[in-house]
Amino acid sequence: MPLSLTLDENIRALSRPDARSDGGQCRVLPYFAVLDLARSLGRGKAKPRSKAMLNVELAALELGIIPERYLRNSTTYSFAEQIRMLKSRVAMVGLGGLGGHALEILARSGVGSICAADGDEFQPSNLNRQLLCTRRSLNGYKAAAAAARVHLINPAVDFEPVAAFLDEGLMERFLMGASLAVDALGGLRDRPALLRQAAKAGIPLVTAAVAGQAGYVATVLPGAKGPSDIFGADSEAAENTLGTPAPAVATAAALMTAEVLNILCGREPRLAGAMLVFDLEGMSFERVSL
Amino acid sequence: MHVTIKCFATLSRFTPPDAEAFAITPGETVADLVKRLGIPSADLKLVFINGAHVELDAPLADGDRVGLFPAVGGG
Repeated sequence: MPLSLTLDENIRALSRPDARSDGGQCRVLPYFAVLDLARSLGRGKAKPRSKAMLNVELAALELGIIPERYLRNSTTYSFAEQIRMLKSRVAMVGLGGLGGHALEILARSGVGSICAADGDEFQPSNLNRQLLCTRRSLNGYKAAAAAARVHLINPAVDFEPVAAFLDEGLMERFLMGASLAVDALGGLRDRPALLRQAAKAGIPLVTAAVAGQAGYVATVLPGAKGPSDIFGADSEAAENTLGTPAPAVATAAALMTAEVLNILCGREPRLAGAMLVFDLEGMSFERVSL
Repeated sequence: MHVTIKCFATLSRFTPPDAEAFAITPGETVADLVKRLGIPSADLKLVFINGAHVELDAPLADGDRVGLFPAVGGG
């Protein structure tokens, strides 16, 4: 592309009109144009850097032009909200069942910066539900599989994998600079510490857990009571008996990400001070205020 | 007087056959109900009535929807 043009001029020149899913019209920056422009920003580097891709996408959105990969977001999330997502940083603890599905959705949606921690390695019993667990990733670090997956889906996402189990001191450091924390932990033990540290960091915590066909999703604002205050760290957890089948795990993760994206967009947290409790055996959902 | 009862996860085995219209007596509390259902107190972590978290001493009223939830932490 002509180097004499500014980035904005290039974006305008390469964009095309497109029909939105709501019947309106908008301008779209084609997928390959984002890659080309990011490459040119990277001064001839063979592969476009994630930062350059993010900058191109942000510049397009500022001009009211939607990057093609977010076209199907654009009637749900406004351009301003998509910009907020791309400028957000989410800290996620746990890359198992909940974390894998949640990461997939957040990366596809265009959360610009995600750090995620899990010190665990994949084992065959994870294959029933954990999106990042494949025949190929067995025995490898969950954090490594997560990094590979995010890069494959959306290289504009600045993803920081941490292959370590976080104690409370590490959680405090891990949450620094994040606009929101995601509790995708397994088991009850570490959840109270994450709730405390999110409160200390002054950021919302979106949390979920499942056992069998049942589960919940909740949002805890700093200083408020959360599910882990009710369940405790040392109780006998129901999943030890009932296991963790895929539908409940994927449901909880999807609900969690819908709430995360609402919050990142600057919308009111819908589950603040409440739990959305579900049972997929009876197909029931109920909102419970805490 | 009747309530509906929903027992979640590991508590589902305590669901009475008449959970959709479970007869209660005037003045009966959640604690009384839980005892009648045979649910061990250590297994019950969260009780909600009509979508609001309540304590065990909460009284029951006709038509209440009672939810009983154990500790759940799986991911």
